Amino acid sequence: MAQNVTNVSQTEEVSSTRRVIAASSVGTLIEWYDFYIFGTLAKIISEQFFPKDNPTAALLATLATFAAGFVIRPFGALFFGRLGDLIGRKYTFLVTLVIMGGSTFAIGLVPGYKTIGFFAPAIVFALRLLQGLALGGEYGGAATYVAEHSPAGHRGFWTSFIQTTATLGLFLALGVILIVRQTLGVETFSDWGWRIPFILSSLLVGVSIFIRMRMSESPMFVKMKKEGKTSANPLAESFKKKDNLKMVLIALLGATAGQGVVWYTGQFYALSFLQNACNVEFVQSNLIISIALLIGTPFFIVFGALSDKIGRKYIMMAGMLIAVIAYKPIYQAMYDEATLKTKVEIVDKTTVETKEAVKGTDTITTKITKKSYEDGTTYKETVKTTIPLDPVKKAELAAADKLKPETKKEVTLPSNSYYKMIGFVLIQVIFVTMVYGPIAAFLVEIFPTRIRYTSMSLPYHIGNGVFGGLVPLISTRLVEATRPAPGLPPADPLAGLMYPILIASVSFVIGMLYISNKTNNMDVE
Amino acid sequence: MSAIKKLFGIVWSLMGIGIIPLVIMQAMKEIAAKPSEENWIFWSIVIVVLMPIIAFSLITFGIFALKGEYDVLE
Repeated sequence: MAQNVTNVSQTEEVSSTRRVIAASSVGTLIEWYDFYIFGTLAKIISEQFFPKDNPTAALLATLATFAAGFVIRPFGALFFGRLGDLIGRKYTFLVTLVIMGGSTFAIGLVPGYKTIGFFAPAIVFALRLLQGLALGGEYGGAATYVAEHSPAGHRGFWTSFIQTTATLGLFLALGVILIVRQTLGVETFSDWGWRIPFILSSLLVGVSIFIRMRMSESPMFVKMKKEGKTSANPLAESFKKKDNLKMVLIALLGATAGQGVVWYTGQFYALSFLQNACNVEFVQSNLIISIALLIGTPFFIVFGALSDKIGRKYIMMAGMLIAVIAYKPIYQAMYDEATLKTKVEIVDKTTVETKEAVKGTDTITTKITKKSYEDGTTYKETVKTTIPLDPVKKAELAAADKLKPETKKEVTLPSNSYYKMIGFVLIQVIFVTMVYGPIAAFLVEIFPTRIRYTSMSLPYHIGNGVFGGLVPLISTRLVEATRPAPGLPPADPLAGLMYPILIASVSFVIGMLYISNKTNNMDVE
Repeated sequence: MSAIKKLFGIVWSLMGIGIIPLVIMQAMKEIAAKPSEENWIFWSIVIVVLMPIIAFSLITFGIFALKGEYDVLE
């Protein structure tokens, strides 16, 4: 009889934990989805809201892409982290979800620059900042909430479900965008179809809010509140007290900084490298990343669970070390797989098509060259030249060297190379799962309950937002520095890897020297 | 192990201090060579956001390590 009661109680506990994980993970996944659709559609958004001929709008475009990613996220972490430690986890991360969902939905409805002028980029910029703020508060809340419901010894496993959400959010964003784009066609999608992924978010957020409303507060927070042990000033306690500040620093330098660059390199920089250095066609490059993400995602749970057995430290450090060693060979192999220099062209199959059309006050000449190669690779080069009909304007632009044609290169890989590319990206996603799978449990366990939300959120968002979020900007810059002249290919397409390799190396040394592997058995008190 | 941790504390602090003039000099050199808007935005982000975080965290972390604050975490 007593055995039956125990079994029923254990089953109820497992079922309750599953509900907690599902409610937290779905909301966090939607927040990542919301955040990533903006980044993935940055080019279209830029055309709609931030016209290049308006310098202020162009500046806002750059800031909207990067500022919300790294400057605002840590502020969100501080603001909502403090709230979460003062009033509770449940209500705080419910608020972040509402803010994120509301701003995403609103971005989908903002009229373009052509309709409302400068208000359009200003509104979108403000909404993007709100997105960053909300994301800064969401992750720490979800990870803390799940960890505080998880039994000791299984925290790595349970929190790893939260860790899958960032990658799944990116996968969902890429998937929805590809489906909508393929369904509506490229032109309609660029015109208004891009709004659908934003508007769709409101449905997902609505469902998630409904689920989260029904959840109860974290038991540890409730207990602490009853005993009157909550922090009166979580910010001061987190960052002014030496004992906590030193843990914040070790979490940042020894874990999240390295994890952040590995995360962004394996997913975002890989996509950027495929599209810009390898010129792989838009749909194919997105599919390569999406498939690799989908196959790699279960490994977050594998490494999260493994960290309960052997400790968080060695899995995270192994992920960083292998990434540092393997990045250059992997990216070299990706480049070699796509480069046309080593492929044999079937000259008979080459076609050149030239079209000329008058659009408004301009003559647009489009030259499309298509080439085929013996291994099945196809190459399409589109050169578009826009020349004003007005001879005075034409002469002015020519004098300012602004009559340069726009060139778009698209390589479509054959099946063999396509699968190899998926493999190369998948290896990088595995590194991501090694460094990221156990990190929520690691962060939760090094801070006390009373200031956990605040303390863990800041190093996480500085590591991911600043160190990781800057990977595309700094790496692209490093590659550009090797370009001998505008229009010529960069001398070293792998130069961009120097930044993530350097940061991950320093993080590895600090992590190995100073992080303890014993934290996995600490009680969350 | 404790001695190595302390010794590396000096390395982290020096790295944190050294990064400040290094980044500022590189920024000045690149902006002087090509004073484009793109260059200004890039180096503003690096100098205003990235550099202070790296410098502050490495210097403070290095001092803590040198004082033996992380010895108990073995």
